Amino acid sequence: MPDDEPSPSEMRPYLTAHGHLDDAGPDTEADPVSRLRPYLLTAGRAEPVDETLEIEAQVMATDAGTLATQRLPFEHRDIVRLCMVSMSVAEVAARLGLHIGVARVLVADLADLGYLYVERPNLPNSQDPSLIERVIRGLEAIR
Amino acid sequence: MDSKLSAEPPANGRRPPVPVKIVIAGGFGVGKTTAVSAISEITPLTTEAAITSVAAEIDRTGEVPAKVSTTVALDFGCITIDDDLKLYLFGTPGQDRFGFMWRDLSHGALGALVIVDARRIDDCYPAVDYFERMELPFVVAVNMFDGELVHDLLDLRWALAIADETPLITFDARERLSVRDALISLLRHALERATA
Repeated sequence: MPDDEPSPSEMRPYLTAHGHLDDAGPDTEADPVSRLRPYLLTAGRAEPVDETLEIEAQVMATDAGTLATQRLPFEHRDIVRLCMVSMSVAEVAARLGLHIGVARVLVADLADLGYLYVERPNLPNSQDPSLIERVIRGLEAIR
Repeated sequence: MDSKLSAEPPANGRRPPVPVKIVIAGGFGVGKTTAVSAISEITPLTTEAAITSVAAEIDRTGEVPAKVSTTVALDFGCITIDDDLKLYLFGTPGQDRFGFMWRDLSHGALGALVIVDARRIDDCYPAVDYFERMELPFVVAVNMFDGELVHDLLDLRWALAIADETPLITFDARERLSVRDALISLLRHALERATA
């Protein structure tokens, strides 16, 4: 990155803009440099049918999804195929080269159709000492 | 959590692993991507986060080239802990305008590793501020680019004005085991706080 990158301490948008950024909608301004319009895939929606869908939620194809694969539009089909092995929403986005927001919308749609099973992360557990110890042991096993 | 996402799990008994996550934060070019890549099991993956029109309004107009400001990489990696547990590493997007995403990333995280370049420590202030406010356990990890410290750690601690109990460590973002140890330092700190 250039050294003349402005110091983040000059401005703290997440402090000053708190509460506003949540209202952010799809980028509707003409963008001369963007070569693609990611939200085309989502019929313009920026928010998933369930807007609480976490990017680390684990998704996996259901049997119905597997059976329906051939009938699905290509972007849905890619996701269901990928999710024969469980992975996070973020991973789906990364592996398919999708905008993270688009992946959230599409995954939520597919779950709504019953084609994907979504395992919501059990967030309160992050303070659980035995969970933390387990992660430490797992990391210690890395050589 | 009441959810519309109510599909049944697949009948063959496969269950996805429980995800846990650690946030990797810090200013531009401090080594977040390097650190995630060094330890992640999967090929370094980045996913794009586009700027929203609202976020664009608070852009520092003219200071960042327009092309750069259209997308930003969200670093992402994962480590299998055991059959039922998967650790995700999420690098915060470099631009602090992505505050909304920091909330998503931090929510439910085990903690945060704040990476610092000792030559530009003010780059990490927003991250330190943020995690203090969120009361998320964090460790400040000075990336040893050249194998030596520009400043004494005590001086750095003073400049950062972090709490005495917040660990300040050095590490090498290029080294897998060094990144592993930094993450373990963070988790030990989180464990102390969880059991305090």
